[in-house]
Formats: sequence, structure tokens, C-alpha cells
Amino acid sequence: MAKESMMTGCRAAAEGAKAAEVEVICSFPIRPYTAIMMELAKMVANGELNAEFIHGEGEHAQLSVILGASAAGARAYTGSSGVGVTYAMEVYSPMAGGRYPAQMAIADRTLDPPGDFGSEHTDAMSTRDQGWLLGWACSPQEAYDNTLIAYRVGEDRRVMLPQMVCQDGYFISHIPDTVTLGERSQVKEFLPPYNPINHLSLTNPVSHGPQIRPDQGAPMDAMRAQTFLEVPKVIEEATADFARIFGRKYDPFVEQYRLDDADIAFFIMGAHSNTARAAVDKLRKEGVKVGMARLRWVRPWPTHQLAEALGHVKAVGVIETSTSYGGAMRGGNLIHELRASLYDLDDRPLVTSFMSGLGGETIWPADFDYMAGVLTGMVKEKRTDRYVYWLGM
Amino acid sequence: MSKEDKMAKRLPGYGTIDIPEDRVVPFGAVTPAPVGTQKLFQTSNWRVVRPVKDDEKCTRCLQCYLACPDACWTYKEETDSLEWVGDFCKGCQVCIQACSVDGALVAAPELDFEGGVVRLEKPF
Amino acid sequence: MPAFDYKFQQLEPIRSFKKVPEAEQYLPGHRTCAGCGPALNYRLVAKAAGKDTIFIGPTGCMYVANASYLCTPYAVSWIHAQITNAGAVASGIEAAFKIAARKGRHTGPFPNIIVMAGDGGSVDIGLQAMSGMMYRGHKVLFICYDNESYANTGIQVSPMTPYGAATTFTPPGKEIPEGNTLFPKNAPQLVIGGHPAVKYVATTTIAHPLDLMNKVRKALSKPGPTFLHILCPCPKGWLFDEKMTPDMAKLAVETGMWSNYEWEDGVYKYTNVPKKYKPVSDYMKPQGRFAHLKPEHIAKMQAFVDEKIKQVQRPIPVAAAVPSKQIA
Repeated sequence: MAKESMMTGCRAAAEGAKAAEVEVICSFPIRPYTAIMMELAKMVANGELNAEFIHGEGEHAQLSVILGASAAGARAYTGSSGVGVTYAMEVYSPMAGGRYPAQMAIADRTLDPPGDFGSEHTDAMSTRDQGWLLGWACSPQEAYDNTLIAYRVGEDRRVMLPQMVCQDGYFISHIPDTVTLGERSQVKEFLPPYNPINHLSLTNPVSHGPQIRPDQGAPMDAMRAQTFLEVPKVIEEATADFARIFGRKYDPFVEQYRLDDADIAFFIMGAHSNTARAAVDKLRKEGVKVGMARLRWVRPWPTHQLAEALGHVKAVGVIETSTSYGGAMRGGNLIHELRASLYDLDDRPLVTSFMSGLGGETIWPADFDYMAGVLTGMVKEKRTDRYVYWLGM
Repeated sequence: MSKEDKMAKRLPGYGTIDIPEDRVVPFGAVTPAPVGTQKLFQTSNWRVVRPVKDDEKCTRCLQCYLACPDACWTYKEETDSLEWVGDFCKGCQVCIQACSVDGALVAAPELDFEGGVVRLEKPF
Repeated sequence: MPAFDYKFQQLEPIRSFKKVPEAEQYLPGHRTCAGCGPALNYRLVAKAAGKDTIFIGPTGCMYVANASYLCTPYAVSWIHAQITNAGAVASGIEAAFKIAARKGRHTGPFPNIIVMAGDGGSVDIGLQAMSGMMYRGHKVLFICYDNESYANTGIQVSPMTPYGAATTFTPPGKEIPEGNTLFPKNAPQLVIGGHPAVKYVATTTIAHPLDLMNKVRKALSKPGPTFLHILCPCPKGWLFDEKMTPDMAKLAVETGMWSNYEWEDGVYKYTNVPKKYKPVSDYMKPQGRFAHLKPEHIAKMQAFVDEKIKQVQRPIPVAAAVPSKQIA
């Protein structure tokens, strides 16, 4: 019987990396993800984890080191937060296009300016066009679980893509919650060793990444796009296998909480979904038919799954903890793709969004009351008054 | 049929992506290392002159051999043979300039040679 | 953790031209310019290193001109890196092989891991990654092939461009008659001066092929990071007749613009030191990139070189901050 203990999201992510027996780790400190690396450093120093622990000279270097390590056949791991994530931007596409399935743990943090240690999702969200797998946890347990699931999916030979496993800074990364770690046998059954394709070798010499002509570019892009058509199936298989082996069941793409008979719904990602669940329960007691859809994967975006989960709902409120200045809705990032997912339904839900939790602020139960009120009003009026509401402003 | 399958039928699909065979590119842009020479990039059509060795004068100092960026000179110690392989020679004349003996290596115009002034079917 | 056993390859010094290994690891069939200095350098380095080698090629001439249209001229494994991160990518590869060796997945000799970075990729945009790698002590040979410009993008000034050189970012004009007003960084000194884990630093040119190959082999026999700074004249960038590429390198040494030396265990050893230095104008006259200079600019260059030459006559032993023999 696996032991349950209290640990933060950072420690849980590190335990996940340890369970995955990562071989090359590249560190660089930035709040709030640093503790992941501190935990791993202790594990390596104590001989609990046989890995190379490399002190990168910056986040760009971190990604570059794990690119090289993955290209040479090692399971590689790194992480960052906030502007560290954006500093490494140059390296994301080379890793995704080079098909190096290393993993990056992200504990979200607002982007500068100026320095703000609170959590916003914009850091990781701004990388979403680079071709990585990208998903969010809402608890330390899920951070641990997603670490293993992401490696399993990313290293699958039908996929071979790097993965970003995200958790809200401070709310998840620093607040302990109960986590059950997997037994070694369970992890070994779930996650096979990394089996690289054409890694840098002395016995089978290969060239990684020669220059190409423009006409060779489109097929390169097309191959990467083709892979993303395959990825959802691999995610479903892996999530089902995870449930079988570890006994923890996740909806592969969208956690659906009391959504079946909901008239209005919150669409949310990450830590604040914990408050949302409690808010849904309270509102239900008051007679409001509300549910919650929590997004687990941003890339691949589960278009059909979201349409299926939310298609019957009359109004959806997107809780946005990221910014997309000048974007179509002049709000956050999730709303654009959510609206796109629902667009082709015969009977589309009304959709609006709520900028909340920005700067790392708490989203209070009262905020959810307010949002439910807005959504209920929209259903009554049968129209969307505004694309975006800035909570408190 | 699952609810999701029914939904997928009503919604647009993601389509299929079919890369024609003559446009297929290697996975992850990883190519095997070439063996011997990289035949996919021909450069013999660059030159307008080629080096010609006077074997009597040549002292096998091997300056030419170690001055060619394109490895156009091959040397075999067992037979003491130094030969020019023109498959990739760009006619830069570094070897001629580097030659330590007057007249052992001279530049001759391509037009003087049968099959000189190489033409390629396709540029690359 | 016990010291890692690198299982060095047996790379003996090459005694003469006739003893140069026959096998080419940098194969003909690349679109480098006719008479390209860096291409010749690549060939010599690859020959010296042999088949158990992995090259890291950051963006630059030795990436774009070599790796043409989904094919490369490398008979050994090679990977493209960004111009910014060759040192970091090499570090990751080295770490992967170490862990693979520790776990028994990789048997046999440790690969020669060699970065072939241009001057920009070494001391400008690539400086941070290079320094990080030197600091951490990875067993990687970092080679700076110095053509004294960002050549691949059409000859722009880099921190290794000489004073007074015309480039497309330092064109001479009425307001700026000398073109480039800045003096170059000293790449080997950057490495030697600040990185206690570095085992060996040397400079050489493509006009000294045996010296070059032996310095490569010596570097590869060290259990830590090493740095080679290699002068590779560029006919297109320096504007001279392409057949003169090795001659330009020789002139650089003969005028004191370049010195060949080794730094090992804190001691400098110079080679090819001219008995009498030729004036720098001998070097600058045949190169079109200096054609616009007036006597006062050439005098400024001569003064700079005269100072540099003083170091050669009087090598200053520098103790490493941590004596290299004591690092595992």
C-alpha cells in the first residue's frame, strides 16, 4: 500500500522526475520553481538518483543542455518560471522540431515588468506555438502524476515531443497537500526506458538538423502537425494505463465537475479550480445549475472534447489567469481557443471571460458567486454583453 | 457509438495531412552521415581551372594535400602516390599557391580538358 | 562519487605530413567558398580527431555552408546548435555520455566532443554558453574558428574583427574613416583568465596544419574543457585572392597580428616566433578590407601589435586559480 505524505508541488515534481529516473538535469534558480531543483540536487548528492546535475548559466542554457542530452540519448529534465521561460524561447522550436522528448517543469509566475512572484499562466502560454506538449496540474499529486504521464506520452515513438508540465506558482508549488508516490514497480510498468530514435552515436553516425531549402520546410512542418493528430490517442492510452496501474483516474483532457446537467459552466485551468469546485458545490446548494470544466492539456488543445463537454451548456465563463494584450477579446489566452472549439456547434453556448487571479492574487469564493451571477444574467438575456470582465476593475 | 464520436461527426474534423512521396523529409531532420563523399552537393562545376601536377618535379612535400579544404588530393604512403581527385575541386588554386616547388603544380584551364567545365543536370 | 574514467582514445602526436591519418571525417561535397579557411580547418580538425567524434555546429558559415539542403559532409555524428548555445548543447551531450557510461549503456572510449564555433558563436553571442561550459569542467574541446567577422550573414563586425577593417556594419565613410573603430577581444585570454577548470588553451592557424592537428589531439587528451583559437582567413570577407588563404595566415604570424602559443598548467609556450617581425602593413596591404586606411590608422594598428608582441618576448606565467593537476 503506497504511503501518503504531505508535500508541495515542487517536491512532488522532483519526486516525479526521480521516479522517472531522469539522467541529465539542468538547473538555474528562479522563483518559484527553484525548489524542484533543490530537491533534485539533494537526491543526486545523496545517491538516491543517479543523474548528472548541471548548473546551467541561465534558462536558455538549461534548455540547450537538455537538448544536447536528449539528442545523445539521455532522459533529460529542466524547469523554470516567469521570464526564465521566455528567456529560453529560442530553444523550444529546435527541441520540438528535432523531436527531443525532454521535460520542462514550470511553476508559473507573472512575467516582468516589474518583478512579481505571483502566479499567472502567461509565461508558459506564450510558448504554445513552439510545438511542445503543454499541460497543467491543479494539485501536487497531479504535478507528480503529470510528470510521469508526460514522459510516457512524449517519449512514445508515435509522438517524440518535449513536454511542459505546469503548476501554479505558490498555490501548488509551495502549499503542501497529500501526495501518494508510486512504487518502483508501478513506475517501471507505466514508463518504459527512453528509447531514442537516431541519437548521436559513434556506431551509427548521424547528422541532426542540416540546413534545408524552403521547399523542404513545409513537409517538416507538416510532419510535426501530423504528430499532433496522433497525440490525443496516445494521451488517452497513457491516462487509462495510469488509472489501471496507480489507481488514480483522470479524464485525459478535461476534468468535468458536475457538468452533465449544468446550465452555466466555469472553464478553468490550474490551481484556482480547487476553489471553483467548492464554489460549484455551494452554488448548487443554492439552486444554481453550475458546473466546471478544467483543462488539463493546452497542447494538444482538446477541441472536440471541449465541444462535447460544454456543448449543452448555455453560458461558459472562462476564468483567465493569463493575458493576451490586444487579443481578439482583449483579455486572456484561453477564451480564443475555447470559443473556436465551440464555434461549429449547432447551438453554441454564450461565452465570456473573467480576468482573475492575475498577479498571483487569490480568486475568492465570492468572485465565483459574482461570475455565476454574470453567467446567469447572460442566459436570461440570451446574449453576451462583453467578451471580458476584469474582476475588481 | 460514444458521445464523443457522435460529436466528432457533427463537428469539423482536423483533416488529414498527406505528404507526397517526393517531398518526404527525414524524421526530426536527422540524416545519416555520408560515406566517402557527400554526393548530394556537387562542386566540380565551380572551377574554371584545375591543378596539374608534374610528377617529376613533385617532392611529395604534401603541402597541397594538407591545404585543400575539399580533400581533392589523396596520398598513399605505401605507393608514394599523390593523385588529384577532381569530383569536388572548386579550382581555388590554394594547392598551387602552397606548392613548394616551382612548376610542380600549375593551373590549367578547364576548357583544355575532355569533359572539363563540368555541367550538372540539376544545380543540387 | 569516484572520478569519472573517460577511457581516453589513443590519439598520438602526428610526427610528419606523411603520417597524417588518411581517413577524412569532413568529406568533400559542401558549398563553402573556394579557398575557405574555416573549411580547411574543419578538415584538419576532423582528421586529427578521428572517427570517435561528435561535432556540435552552431549556426554560422560552418553550419550553413556545410550542411546544405538536408545533407552534411560529416562522416561522424554531428548536431546543429543555435549560435547562442553551442557550449551548452555540448555540455548536455557530454553529460549524457557520462551517465550512459556509468550505467553501462555506453562502452568503449569516450567520444571526442568538439564544438566548431565561429568567432561570434565563441566570444559574442555564444560567450555565455562557452564560459558556462568552461566553468563546469565538461570534457569538451571548444574550437573558435576565427574568420574575424560574422561571415555567413554577409560579413558583419564581430568582437574579433581587427581595428580598421571594413565590414558591412563598419563601412568606412566621411564620418568614420577607419571603418571599424574597435579593437578585438582576446579570446584565449578570456578563457585562461577566468576558468579554473580549463585544462589547455592554444592558438594556431590553418597555415600550420601539423601544429593544428597536434594541438587538437593534445586538447582531446585532457580530462576537461579545452579551447583552441584558430585563425582561418576568409577570402570573401577579407577581400583577397582565394588562393592566398594559407599565405594570409602565415603573414598574420609573421607580422605579429597573430601569435601561435599553448597554455598548459599555467605556462605559456610560443612557437613560430619571427626573428624579426614584418610591419603590419605587409599583412594589411593585400587585404581589401583595409584598403581605405590612411597611414595614421595603420600606425595605430602597428602600435597595438607592438604591445602584443611585448607579451611574446616576455611570457607571463599565470597560475590557475585552482591548479589544474588537482581537479579530478
